[in-house]
Amino acid sequence: MTTMKSSKRNALNVRAALIKSVLLMVLMCVTGLVLAHGERNQEPFLRMKTLHWYDIKWSVENDSTIQVNDLVEMTGKVHFFSRWPEVINKPSTIFLGNATPGPVFVRVETYLDGVPMIQSTGVEMGHVYDFKVILKARIPGRHHVHPMINVESAGGLVGPGIWITVAGDADDFVYSITTRTGTEIANLGSYAVPNVIKWHAIWATVGVLWLLWWFRRPLIIQRYLLVKQGSWDQLITNNDRKIAATLIVGIIVTLIYANNITKEKYPRTVPLQGSKAHVDVPVNKYAGMVTVKNLSAEYYLPGRTVTVKAKITNNTNSPIQLGEFTAANIRFVNHSVPAAMKGVDVGYPDELVANDSLKVSDQTPIQPGETKILDIEATDVAWETERLSSLLNDPDSSYGALLFFYNAKGERIIEEIYGQIIPTFID
Amino acid sequence: MKLTTNEATLLSAVTTPNSEAARIARGLDMFVVAILFFAIIAAFHIHIMLTVGDWDFWVDWKDRMYWVTATPMLLIFIPAALSYPFMMRFGLPIAGTLCAFCLVLGEWISRIVGFHLWTYFPYSMIWPAIVLPGLMLMDLVLLLSRNLFITSIFGGSAVAFAFAPANWPILAPYHEPVVHMGQLVNVADMIGYSFTRTATPEYLRFIERGTLRTFGGESTLISTGFSGFVCMILFFVWWKIGEWLTNLGTIPNVMKKHVGLGDDDDEK
Amino acid sequence: MAVTHDEVGQAKAIAPFKFNLKPMIMGMIVLAIIFGGARWYQQWAAWDYGLDATDPMFDKYWMTFFWAEIVIEISLFFTFVGYMWLTRDKHLNNVKPREELRRLMLWVSMLVVYAFAFYFAGSFYAEQDATWHQTVVRDTSFTPSHIMLFYMSMPVFIIIGFTLFFYAITRLPFFARKISIALVLVVCGPFMLLPTVGYNEWGHAFWLMEEYFTVPLHWGFVFFGWTIIALSGVLIQVMKYMVELLPKVLNEKGELTS
Repeated sequence: MTTMKSSKRNALNVRAALIKSVLLMVLMCVTGLVLAHGERNQEPFLRMKTLHWYDIKWSVENDSTIQVNDLVEMTGKVHFFSRWPEVINKPSTIFLGNATPGPVFVRVETYLDGVPMIQSTGVEMGHVYDFKVILKARIPGRHHVHPMINVESAGGLVGPGIWITVAGDADDFVYSITTRTGTEIANLGSYAVPNVIKWHAIWATVGVLWLLWWFRRPLIIQRYLLVKQGSWDQLITNNDRKIAATLIVGIIVTLIYANNITKEKYPRTVPLQGSKAHVDVPVNKYAGMVTVKNLSAEYYLPGRTVTVKAKITNNTNSPIQLGEFTAANIRFVNHSVPAAMKGVDVGYPDELVANDSLKVSDQTPIQPGETKILDIEATDVAWETERLSSLLNDPDSSYGALLFFYNAKGERIIEEIYGQIIPTFID
Repeated sequence: MKLTTNEATLLSAVTTPNSEAARIARGLDMFVVAILFFAIIAAFHIHIMLTVGDWDFWVDWKDRMYWVTATPMLLIFIPAALSYPFMMRFGLPIAGTLCAFCLVLGEWISRIVGFHLWTYFPYSMIWPAIVLPGLMLMDLVLLLSRNLFITSIFGGSAVAFAFAPANWPILAPYHEPVVHMGQLVNVADMIGYSFTRTATPEYLRFIERGTLRTFGGESTLISTGFSGFVCMILFFVWWKIGEWLTNLGTIPNVMKKHVGLGDDDDEK
Repeated sequence: MAVTHDEVGQAKAIAPFKFNLKPMIMGMIVLAIIFGGARWYQQWAAWDYGLDATDPMFDKYWMTFFWAEIVIEISLFFTFVGYMWLTRDKHLNNVKPREELRRLMLWVSMLVVYAFAFYFAGSFYAEQDATWHQTVVRDTSFTPSHIMLFYMSMPVFIIIGFTLFFYAITRLPFFARKISIALVLVVCGPFMLLPTVGYNEWGHAFWLMEEYFTVPLHWGFVFFGWTIIALSGVLIQVMKYMVELLPKVLNEKGELTS
């Protein structure tokens, strides 16, 4: 008895241990993988050294409501970082679009530096491109709407987004176009669908009838034994053969006929277009105006603060001040620089702008020709919520950001900064 | 071939009309049909979606080169493998037709319930290809010839040869030219551009992008010809794989003593 | 051989064979409710709480669901498979043919349920995953689609498959005497779809960042999907079983003899 009980208990223990270890394994997978994917979950060192979006404007305000069929326009600039991560492809093949939950908006027009982006294109690193994306509301709901650029091998890299509520009825959505051959398509989403269903139904009917022709007979046991007996005359009758021959002819004739009438109805077609759009490399108007060198950078964990020591040389003719530090769509603005404060539009998503001012150790302007070493401190909970702090888990502890300088006239000069970043774990 | 006594008894029993045996056999038929129906949808569909799925999902992937070349090749695997047991063990030349029907049914359910009702993709973008004529021709050739080689050559290639003609009547309207933002595209391109796929951008499409060598736009014909050739070989290979999987044997059961079977029960 | 009146009388007393369809129908109804309910849950919770894995609501509505699945499925697996083993027939050398036929038919009918479950994993929820990837930027391995596909649909057919396997080797002498390789493939091949998720996630994390369904790192699923072709092997073995078994309960006129 005792042995039985103890062996039962042992078995239970073994089972519990097994379940525990499986759960533990799954848990390890969860924690490991959650930090390794997607928009917020893309590794910070990749996000900070790929695309920097700025001057983003939406034709509607954050959290506003629009109707089905209303248009939304997103414009702004996107900077392709020159220290592009080695581990992903250079942006020689990219596609401009929108990060929305799928087709809840229809993409009406997209332009990169004025060039239509219906095709993919390639860009040069270290350059800034203007983009424009026009969307049309299709499915009601509260949606997060971002501009996005897909980079071959890296996937979608998402710009800052706002919330838009689409009201109305999805059935009211229309998107009409006229083809070059004069066909008027009332609604692109349902165009030529009845024809698709018709042909599917025709072939499915033929198939089902043919299957029923066989299924009506005793199938499995009898036919298995008849095969063994070699009674093929009973298995496949003359009648079957005649019908099969007729069907072969019928199918071929139907295919030929269907293609002939299709040719008559659509005499002019073009294949899918697979070319690449060409965008001229824009001139980097800020080239050489300011020299920025990262001396050291630290991430102070308990305080959610990034501190950068940088050597900055002003090569322009007028004094400049550091107005903004931006990394991975989070903006840290120096509140004591009015021109920088003006750059933050009303309606820009709050969660992407740090509450506290960017702290700069020396707020006096950097004079023409002068070199200064500045301590820059960017503090915000966004490091955590946008998961940038997870850079401590990355195989490459480096950061990248843009620095916005302003001169007395309010003109802006943008320069990249990048380097190693070192964590501080304790107070 | 002569049947064993048991087999002869059983054949006589199940062929007696309205007998208990015939009723039991018919019941088994129904179960087997149901099993095959669901299992084929699942197996054939997962095979197709993960090998040539993107071409099948999206109208702006349905090109003259990869779609026409690859789809028939991948379509033939499972129907060819099942043709062996269906035909050689049960005298049923319907594996291709059954597979085609099951696949397209599974696809339509997924496109309606998943692609359209869940994630709002429009039907013009997500219709599946027609695959039945080719696979049915394959069956019919097998029925008439009852010969592996003839079916490989004529039946296998029929899957490829019928593919583009079966689909052009539904695809052609989507290949009408459109000018959008001053760019020439076709309606399918336009649909793909308009209805956002966040993770499958334009450049990810495996489509014909030109080679200087497609001989005046005969891409579809060239693709079909190549596909037909590969299909001939694949039919043969997969028929053999089907044969192997049908005739799998057994391995010893080390636990059989726990269910009251001894070593001498092996030969029963 | 002359048939005596007694024998005729006995033959009449033999009850006709009844197909027990209840377990199959119940099984399919339960599965339809589970899979239909899951699909309804997706429609309701995926759009509102399933788009951002860093959102606390995602934890509440999706990760809780995920953990519940894991716990329930592991429990059900051991319950069902354990039940089959613990309540096994310990005298398989001595089963009456009529009882054997009943068990075989029940087992075959439950294969319909297995195939039905496999349909949801291999077709319904699998292809649906392709479309959910087009609504979000992949940000976790546990999307509203994956939670239903990898961690619900797949375990469900795995539980059914293993249960049926154990039914066969504990109640059907033909499958207990020797293990059918075809049956092992039909159960273990689809089972391997779940471990293949490891390859899939590794690939998406380190190798191919973009979502198209035909990427090579999905081909593990394809390979193990092929094993279902071995159903034909199982079918042939069932035929051999029938040839062995049915003549014990039927005469050549097709009448039941026991």
